[in-house]
This record gives sequence, structure tokens and C-alpha cells, in this order.
Amino acid sequence: MKVFTIIAATLTPSLASADWETNMPIGVTPTSEIAYDIHMLIFYITVVIGILVFGAMLYSIIYHRKSIGAKPAQFYESTKVEIIWTVIPFIILVGMAIPATKALILMEDTRDAEITLKVTGYQWMWQYEYLEDDVSFFSKIDDESNKARQLNSGIDVYQVKNYLRNVDNFVVLPTNTKIRVLLTANDVIHAWWVPELGGKKDAIPGYVNELWVDIKKPGIYRGQCAELCGKDHGFMPIVVKAVPKTEYHKWVSIQQNNKVAGNK
Amino acid sequence: MSTDIEKLDDHHHIPSGIMRWITTTNHKDIGTLYLWFSLIMFFIGGAMALVIRAELFQPGLQLVVPGFFNQMTTLHALVMIFGAIMPAFVGLANWQLPLMIGAPDMALPRLNNWSFWILPFAFTMMLSTLFFESGGPAAGWTLYPPLSLQGGDSMPFVILSIHLFGLSSILGAINIIATILNMRAPGMNLMKMPIFVWTWLITAFLLLAAMPVLAGAVTMLLTDRFFGTSFFTASGGGDPVMFQHIFWFFGHPEVYILILPAFGIVSTIIPTFSRKKLFGYDSMVYATVSIALLSFIVWAHHMFTVGMPLAGEIFFMFTTMLIAVPTGVKVFNWVATMWKGSMTFETPMLFAIAFIVLFTIGGFSGLMLAMVPADFQYHDTYFVVAHFHYVLVPGSLFGIIAAVYYWLPKWTGKMYDETLGKIHFWLTTIFVNLTFFPMHFVGLAGMPRRIPDYAIQFADFNAIASIGAFGFGLSQLLFLYILLKTLKKDVTAKDKVWEGAEGLEWTLPSPPPYHSFEKPPRVE
Amino acid sequence: MNKNMKKTYYLLTIFTVFMFSFSYMLVPLYDIFCEVTGLNGKTNQTKVSVINEQPTERFVKIKFTSTVANSAPFIFEPVNKEMNVQVGKIYTTFYTLTNNSNKIKYATASPSVVPSQDAEFFKKIECFCFSQQEINAFETKELPLQFIINNELRNETKTLVLSYTMFNTTEQAGLNSENKIYE
Repeated sequence: MKVFTIIAATLTPSLASADWETNMPIGVTPTSEIAYDIHMLIFYITVVIGILVFGAMLYSIIYHRKSIGAKPAQFYESTKVEIIWTVIPFIILVGMAIPATKALILMEDTRDAEITLKVTGYQWMWQYEYLEDDVSFFSKIDDESNKARQLNSGIDVYQVKNYLRNVDNFVVLPTNTKIRVLLTANDVIHAWWVPELGGKKDAIPGYVNELWVDIKKPGIYRGQCAELCGKDHGFMPIVVKAVPKTEYHKWVSIQQNNKVAGNK
Repeated sequence: MSTDIEKLDDHHHIPSGIMRWITTTNHKDIGTLYLWFSLIMFFIGGAMALVIRAELFQPGLQLVVPGFFNQMTTLHALVMIFGAIMPAFVGLANWQLPLMIGAPDMALPRLNNWSFWILPFAFTMMLSTLFFESGGPAAGWTLYPPLSLQGGDSMPFVILSIHLFGLSSILGAINIIATILNMRAPGMNLMKMPIFVWTWLITAFLLLAAMPVLAGAVTMLLTDRFFGTSFFTASGGGDPVMFQHIFWFFGHPEVYILILPAFGIVSTIIPTFSRKKLFGYDSMVYATVSIALLSFIVWAHHMFTVGMPLAGEIFFMFTTMLIAVPTGVKVFNWVATMWKGSMTFETPMLFAIAFIVLFTIGGFSGLMLAMVPADFQYHDTYFVVAHFHYVLVPGSLFGIIAAVYYWLPKWTGKMYDETLGKIHFWLTTIFVNLTFFPMHFVGLAGMPRRIPDYAIQFADFNAIASIGAFGFGLSQLLFLYILLKTLKKDVTAKDKVWEGAEGLEWTLPSPPPYHSFEKPPRVE
Repeated sequence: MNKNMKKTYYLLTIFTVFMFSFSYMLVPLYDIFCEVTGLNGKTNQTKVSVINEQPTERFVKIKFTSTVANSAPFIFEPVNKEMNVQVGKIYTTFYTLTNNSNKIKYATASPSVVPSQDAEFFKKIECFCFSQQEINAFETKELPLQFIINNELRNETKTLVLSYTMFNTTEQAGLNSENKIYE
């Protein structure tokens, strides 16, 4: 019963309201889409295996019980059967490994990026630096969320827009551009994750990691820190605003002018 | 349990009261100590879980500050893993292994006593850090630096506690291996041993291989913090990621330590209540050995987002997927044991069947986690929390509960109330699913782990999970009641408590005499 | 105690002690494994002394970036943010380090190159990352970096990013009076 409900809910993501969301988003980048595809492929395979195995158990529980007079059979081993149910799963795994490996190679290919965004994790906020355009700023949880989340704040969090997933300074990025995201940290290990953009990498002090995104649809995409980094780990969100290239370049100019005017 | 003292010869001078329990070298007494200790720790760890779930019942912070919440998540894991699950399995080993192999006791009875008594001391020390001004450990049970190096007076105490848990486990493992290899009754060669003995033999080797590595890792943390080493700080030429490698080299075999004895228990209970021999005994042994060996080459699947080279990611993806094969073989063998059996569904059987179904679901989410491209979306979310709770709760814990219902009549000579047992089973199973199944959904929808508060879209499933958690916790009070009620009863159990039971322990009276087998039985 | 038992205890204890020492062996093994398999994010930790490179026709873009760790009172920036370099030719560039506090400080830089598969081909001839810097209150220093890109760099790589993280190691400097952190 559980299985059918999940299948129904996950196959109809558009019908499920955000509150009852049961599945990974398909997202707006090649990497998020391929992650979703692998996820669903493996899920379907496990559902089929589950139906077979649990089905056999259920049948057995109903028909091979003492209370209806079933007598126990005497068999207790079969090399043939052991070989079959070792080899077949192995073949299924190979079938899964091939698309997964292809997907992974794609996700780790950061070559030929047009823009480099350097992300530095701090306790407890993010710093963003656009290396080509010399733009740099900090981004932390917005005041409204921050006030509401204090212990016994008395504020109804349901009234706070984008509670815990809003920041003071958005990360503005151009659509249809391959962007290389560099990740590092100031103090402890953090991780930068925006589900709809796909990919996740740790931000480690003293080291640089990288991932890439190519955002196909303009919009606002929200994420969170994904590695325990101290008391406010849950309170350092990420907001990416993806806009067409021309708008992005306008935004960059404004940032650069602000910096020159001393408003860093 | 005091009745068997009266049956002893005069040359035994067993102290009574508290001194009996402090000085005992008897494997059954020590088994009892481990089991009661683990039950107490289970309730303590459970209380911490309820603090967590109470805070997560609604968005917003209502009960605790984030720093304390992190202490709860850290200690909940440390207590459950090292205080509840592992000691329970050691308790079962102590009770059952000598009985099953026809030995009078464990190989080193006094060491056995010390191995136990280390634990209450170590846990008192660890839990006392909650009362420090800087609080208890809050960096997660995985203790990743640099976060774990950042502060708190609790750190050296927690590290010392971990060393003590490790010492207890290592001494216990040496004892168990020595007992199994050298004290089997004549005629019981290795491939005739009960399967539970096999799974514990393999678990004991895993303990010896893994626990010392954990000891090394936490010692490195200690010296980095206090003695100027820089294993894990980049400024000194070190690498925080190296800690993760060393930790998970321990950590992955550790999770097999947490499940292999349960596999042995299920492999014992299913045949009994199916009235049919375990299907594929040899295969089950080889599968368990394969799982144990493979467990040493999969560790980095806990670290896929750390920035490993592509070749490393691919290697660990493949080895992790491979572990599904012997695990699947075990599941198929259990189903084949049930198939065309003549089943009855007493409480131990109910828990064992639920184990197979729900552990397998945990296995499915594990397989999904192995796929690196998808794992980038699962890592450090509630999807992972769902996975490991499925394999640990309806996995390891159900194995332990099943074993207690199964062997309690043998240990005490008293039958538990079967109706209450079944009620306990159904409540537990329903609530365990209510608690952990929704976590798959919120994890997929984007909720990270180890956060005390969350965005509104995660609220509904979190509320369900919290209700489930409280239901689950309360249902375990019923288990405690059943245990206490049983102990008050009269001794009525037969030697062979269960019609389909096989093995040397069922040739002894219930309860068994103080020295189990005074003369080794002959095994055909 | 019979002989078999004694042998069992002996072997198991040796095994346990070995596994404890194995965890410490993992420390150098970690580095050796990375070097041998080339699965390395690390650049050379020591100076490259002999250079047998010849300049080639190939050019790659190098971006330079910097991070100050633990919010130390430093300003640390690359002088050149980007260079178009010829593979096989030696280049020199600088980073500036300013001590923004009124006390003498010690600082150590940790390098990182991405993509990590190409890190080994970024050869440093002179690098401030090989040694701890002593810097006076409010002093600014120019720190030199001399490097060469090895031609075994993967064909498809067009851009490399070199990042330095500058750590305040004033406390550690008190513990060991040597200036050099690495060999």
C-alpha cells in the first residue's frame, strides 16, 4: 500500500502541493536533471525488486502457515538457485552502473566555463566573489527570518515569507551560461547546495572544490548549507536569482559602481 | 534469576545482592548486565530523540537553542550506537554463545566482567558533559574537524569515553573469538556452528579491525587540539578530509558490526517458526564473510561531496553497489526458508519478518545513495537519516527485540505474555514507519540534516514524524512493562520452548544451570 | 590455559595493536596513495629546482584568488587576478599581504589548484607557501610566486585557478621557532 502511494505521489509532482512534496526536484540545470533521472531509475528498479520479494513473502505468509495445515517442506539448499540470485542482481547492478558513471562524468566536467563564482562559507553566512567581474559581497539570512527563528520569538513563522530560505543579498547569475562554482571556507567545513541547480560540494577551509551549473530557466532558487558547521548551520541559506545575460551584465555594472563609490 | 542460585553445589560461593552483579564472572549474569544497561541507554538515547522530534514538530524554535539541539543530535547517536545497540548485541553474545557451542562459559570470564563495567563508567563521563558550562559535544557523532576542534571542555572527556567504549568492545571481541574458536563442543566444526555464532565471530573480527582505527582518529583530534599536531589543519600541512577517511574507514565496518548479529538472529528465528531448516546455510556464511570483507573498501561513500577525484568516486560507487549482492542473497535465503514452511507468528517471528521487509527498504535507499550523481542531492539530507534509521531501528533494534522475546523464556524459564507482545509489535512497527518514512520525502524535497528548524514546506511531514516518534517511544514502555511482568511470573517454560527450535541451548533446562554445560555435549 | 588459547590471544592482540598503528599509517599512506595514483589535488609541496621545460605553442588562462582563514586580521590579495600564460615558460607574479593589526603576526599560506587533476602540472619554483611569513604591525609585504606550467597538462584544460588560503599561525609560531612548515 505504501509503495503505491509513493509511486502515485512521485509520478505526479505537479499535483502534489509544496507542503506534501515527496520527490526530488527535476531542477533547471543539466546536472539536476541527470541526478533526477538516475534517482528515478534506481527507484523504479528497487520498487520492482520490492514487489517481487515482498510479494513472495506475502504469498508465503498466507499459504505456508501451520494454522491452515501446511506441512513444512524438507529442502534447505540449492547451489543452482544461489548462483542465479547472485548473478542476476549483479547484472542489474551493471545495468545501473553504466548510466550512473556517464552521469557522474558529466557532472564533474567543469571545463569551458564562462564565469567563475567563488563561494566562501563562513560561520554563519556566505561570501560570493565573481572572479571575472571583480564583484564581492556577503550574503546572510534575512532579518525577518532571523528575528522569527529566535527561541520563543513570539513571531508566527508561517507569516514570514520564505522563512529560513531568504537572504539579504541574492546571488545573481546569468541563464544559459556555464558557470564554474569554486568552494572554500573561512573556518569549518560547510557545503553549498541549491537543490534545483543540482550538485553539492563541501566548502573546506584551506582547499578549493568545484562544481558547475548551467541554469536553463530564469527564476529564484533557494538552498541551504549542507554540512554541520556549528550552532547556526540551519540558518545560513542560499538564494540564487537567475536572469538573462543582459540583465546579469546590468546587475554586475551596478555592483561595480557601488564598490567604486565605497559601498562594498 | 535468583532461583538458580539455590540449585548450586556447596563449593560455589556466589555472593548475593549487589556484590553478585559487580563481581560476577558468569556469562549469563554478564549478559543480563549488558542487556539491562543497553535498555537503560536506549531510553536515554530515546529521550534525546524525543527532544529532537519535539523541537522539529513545528517550524520555529520552541524548546531549545540551536547549540543544545546539536548536543542532542550528537549524543543521541553516540548513546544509541555505543550504549544501546552494541552492548545489547554483546549481551546476547554473552548469554547465547556458550550455550550454543556447548561451553561452560566464555574464554576469559574475569575480562568479561571488566569489559562490561567499563561501560557505565564511560557513559556517566560522557553524559556528564551535558552539565558542563560549555555543554556536551555538538559536532555530530562523526566529530569532523575543524568544527570538532573549535571548542568546548567536553571534548577530552568524550574522546576518553570513546576510547573506553572501544576498549570494552575490543576486549569483548577477543573473548568472543577465543571462545568460539577454542571452546566448541567436540563434533561442532565451523560449518556446523549455529548461524548466530558465525555472525558474531565475523562481527568480532570487524570490531578488532575497526575500533582501533577509531581510537587512532580521535587521538589525532585530541593531539591536534591540545598538543600542537596538525593532522587536520591546512595551516600546518594537514587536511580535514583525511579525518573523514580515517573515521569512515572505521565507520563503515562499524555499521556492519551493528547489523551482522541481527542477521544471525533473524537466520535463527525464521527457521524455528517456519519449522524448516535455514535455506542455504553455507551461502549465508559466505555472504556474511563477503559483506565483512567488502565493508573495508566502501568507506568513502559517506564522503561523496568532499571533492574526491572522479576515479575515486567511481571506485567507491562500484564497491558500494557490489555490497548489495551478498546482502540480497541473504534476503532471498530468508524468503526461501519461509517458502513452503509451516509458519506460526509468535512475537519473535513477527519482529523477524518485519526486519526482513523494513531492513530491505533501508537497503533500497542505501542502493539509491550509492549512485553518486543522485547522492549529490541526497547527501546530508533527511534522505540519509531515513536510510540509516530504517537499517538501524527496524533493522538492528528489531533484531535485538526479536532475540529477547525468543530467548527470554530460555533465560528465565518464564513465558512472556504473547498477546501483549503482539500489541508491542504492532504499535512499534506502525510508529516506526510513521516516524521514518516521511523523512525520505522531506530529504528529497530538500531538507538538510542536523538543523533545529526548517522552512515551512517541510512542516507537515515533520509533524507526522514527530507524532510517530512519540508513539514509538511510548510503545517501548510497553516492552519494559512486558519484561518486568514476565520476571514476576512462575517458572513454567520447557527446555525446548519453541516447537521448531534447534540448537544446544534448547537441550538445557529453562532457566539453564549456573554453569551451563558442566560436561561438553557431543555434537553429531 | 591451553596452547591454542594462548596462540589465539597472542594473534588477536597483535592484530588489534596493528590496526591502531594502521590508523596512524594512514596519514603518510594518504599522501603516498595520492601521489602514486596521481589522484592529487595538491600541488608540489616543495620547490621545483630543476626545470627542463621548453616553452610551447600552447596557452592557458590562470586565475589567481585568495582567502583569509578564520577572519584573521590580514588583507591578502593577488596582484594579478588573471594571466594568460604560455605552457613551458617561467612566470613571476605576486600576492600582497597586509597585517591589519597592531601586533607582529606570523602567517602561512596553503595552496590549492583546480581542476584537481591538473594540480600536479602547476609547478612552483619559488613560493611563499613554502614558508611561514613574519609580518609586523600594519606592514604590507609583497609575496612572490614563480611558476611554470608543465606541458603534460591535460589537453582539454583551458583554465586553471590557483587559490591561496592565508592562515594566522602566530600561536603555532610560538610553539616551534622554525620558519618553515614544510621540508
